[in-house]
Amino acid sequence: MKPDYAQLLETNQLLQTNGDQTYWLCVTRTVQESKLFPVPAYMLLSYLNAFYRYPGVLRKIETCMTAEELGDRARNMGSKAHATSMWGLPCFYLLGREWQINMGLIRPEDAAEDLIYIVDFWKRFQLSWRRNSGHITASDGGHRTQILPERQIQVFHADLYDCEPGEPLHEAAQAFAASAAQYAFLVACESRISMHQHGPYHLGENREMLVRDFVDLAECDLPWLDGVAENVPYTNLTMPMATEGVHFNIIDDWGSFAAEPEFKGEHITGVGLYTSDPLSNGYEPVGMGSREELTRTYKDLDERLKDAMARLWKRVAGWTRDQMLDAGAITYYAIIKDLAHIAGCYDPEDWIKIDRRAERFRPLLNDEYSRDMLGDICVGSSPSHQMYEYLMMRHSNLPQRIYSPVPYSILVDDDYAPSVGDVQPGVTYLNEKLDRYRTTRGTFGIEEYNRRVRDSQPKTHEDRFRFLCEPSIKYRYDGAAADELYKLHQENSRNLRGRGAGLRRSDIEALRG
Amino acid sequence: MSKIFSDVDKYESESPSSVVAAINTAMQSVVRERFEASGQSWKDFVFGDSLESITEEDFRAVEKTLIDAGHRYDWSAAISPQERPDAYKPATGTTEDDLDTFCFEDPEAPTGETDSDGLELRGVGDNVVSYSEDTVGVARYVRSTTRVLNWLTEGVPENTIAVIDDSGGTLTAPILERFKGVICAGGTVRSHLGILTREYGIPCLMNSKVNGIMEGDTVRMESTARAKNTEDYQAGREVTANIWRVHSP
Repeated sequence: MKPDYAQLLETNQLLQTNGDQTYWLCVTRTVQESKLFPVPAYMLLSYLNAFYRYPGVLRKIETCMTAEELGDRARNMGSKAHATSMWGLPCFYLLGREWQINMGLIRPEDAAEDLIYIVDFWKRFQLSWRRNSGHITASDGGHRTQILPERQIQVFHADLYDCEPGEPLHEAAQAFAASAAQYAFLVACESRISMHQHGPYHLGENREMLVRDFVDLAECDLPWLDGVAENVPYTNLTMPMATEGVHFNIIDDWGSFAAEPEFKGEHITGVGLYTSDPLSNGYEPVGMGSREELTRTYKDLDERLKDAMARLWKRVAGWTRDQMLDAGAITYYAIIKDLAHIAGCYDPEDWIKIDRRAERFRPLLNDEYSRDMLGDICVGSSPSHQMYEYLMMRHSNLPQRIYSPVPYSILVDDDYAPSVGDVQPGVTYLNEKLDRYRTTRGTFGIEEYNRRVRDSQPKTHEDRFRFLCEPSIKYRYDGAAADELYKLHQENSRNLRGRGAGLRRSDIEALRG
Repeated sequence: MSKIFSDVDKYESESPSSVVAAINTAMQSVVRERFEASGQSWKDFVFGDSLESITEEDFRAVEKTLIDAGHRYDWSAAISPQERPDAYKPATGTTEDDLDTFCFEDPEAPTGETDSDGLELRGVGDNVVSYSEDTVGVARYVRSTTRVLNWLTEGVPENTIAVIDDSGGTLTAPILERFKGVICAGGTVRSHLGILTREYGIPCLMNSKVNGIMEGDTVRMESTARAKNTEDYQAGREVTANIWRVHSP
């Protein structure tokens, strides 16, 4: 549908928001390279796949579930529908666009209606997912991602097991976190997409809680995990981690953290462990029956992840460059794939193939060109970024914009191609994915998995609960609905089961003894 | 020849990378040619004929132009020069034989004479986490999957301080935990390798500028130095830890 002025104004503002966010994230790192994976090359390929496929796959998802509803569902689980995914949603699409503008393949006004849709979807998801803080990005919120509602934070807080450096639980938790992080990097072909942190959540008296998600660990959507991850029992794991004497001053849009003073293992004072997915009733405890059980569980998972990591590393080391390119490009492109799972319409053809329109570019993607092109489009060095000399971009003060705005002139001359059209057939150099997906309710084929998701939405997602937001709770916590909602979240809680909506943070602390 | 939109640019500039500039220019020529041949308006051409008429072969030909002109591409992933040795610069320092003579030679690395404690400054790096003691071990380069696979099978030699130019966390994934320390010639403290060494409690210096450290040298990392943080990077502040070669008294 032809856009109006207001839509274009908002589109360009959202585009600028993501551009500023992307610039900051990129300049506080260097261009990521790896001796194992051709990282910049696969990133560029993923951006093209996003450009040609995101409009189609997102429209398909919204025939099942709106972006706002997806945000509400994603807020209550630790999945790959997180801050990093949602930074990548517009960013990957827009970088694919910007790259092609610089090669003369498209103009800034081409695919305008796709672009408007993409950033509008992003906005609606973000506003919903981040509704408890009211920000659209972590950057907008001063580098914080405080997603969870009070009722879920209370469960995590109440059920944490205290631990001190040197204790078996402390050591097991740290070892698990290190292995999970390292395995997550390998699963995600060197990217940080399979792990994510949110928070901080204030526990009082110099204490904060960081919630760490590790996702796509078991046999799930990624074909390269078939077989090697057969002994990993959970696809997603969430580890709430209480700390003392350290303030997480940055939780950025890549789900990474920085702390003041610098964070060390000795700051960890409490830990927990949960799993979740579109079939679970929110977060479900893992090994949380006792301190000893949790210690054993961490150790067991640590061993399983290390075993899977060694097997996966050997598999990857035997790949061709095209296979590495595909795996990395799919990891990046499919950063938002869990939206399709949450909506119950996941189709591997949509997510683990390279669209033939993007595939054309493969011969260009040598290491040097990819490195330099990626650097150019991420930090404003491309010809398309340069604007009038009076302009001073946020963070750099240079006369640049990271993404070319959509020209308003299309409102009068109508001279633009509206859309790239539907998803087209794709190709892959990887082995075909086995029809095997591990979930919290068992291992299913994709049809069965989708059917189960469509047939069962959690109770907490019913409208009477879904809109019982934090401001509503403030004035209605003594009502029956609030009490019921809190009890639903507390169902699997060791210390809060049946306690209801009336507790405050100090009550939780007292209950923990 | 038809013009395309990018032929007119008031704030005209070129990519700082000559490779990118050359490839962009070559691609624009292809687009110009195919657009003219289509006889269509741009808005019909862009997601119509162009998707069929600009082919994989065009991209391949453009990339090959630079090789034909004598350029050899920098490589980052070991697989790239392995599969196309004709297209990339030589992959030195990646075989066991190479390591007898190979070392990083960063011209910006500060170096100094051996002091009275037997310490010879060979470089600096950004400290990821500050520890209570400096780290002393044996420098060993890790630049290939072959070496990782060998050490995965046979075990990582005792006391290894891995010298790496890969700021990622995957090349060394199955053996990282067994390093005594890491000196990485790339990245920042927030790179993946920085994140992982922090998780494992392994002393690590990122963005290291080192010169002349040879395979088997005993080295000392100043892991007691202040850790570099995000604000330091943003402000462009140099906050570094020293790297010394240790000479026996």
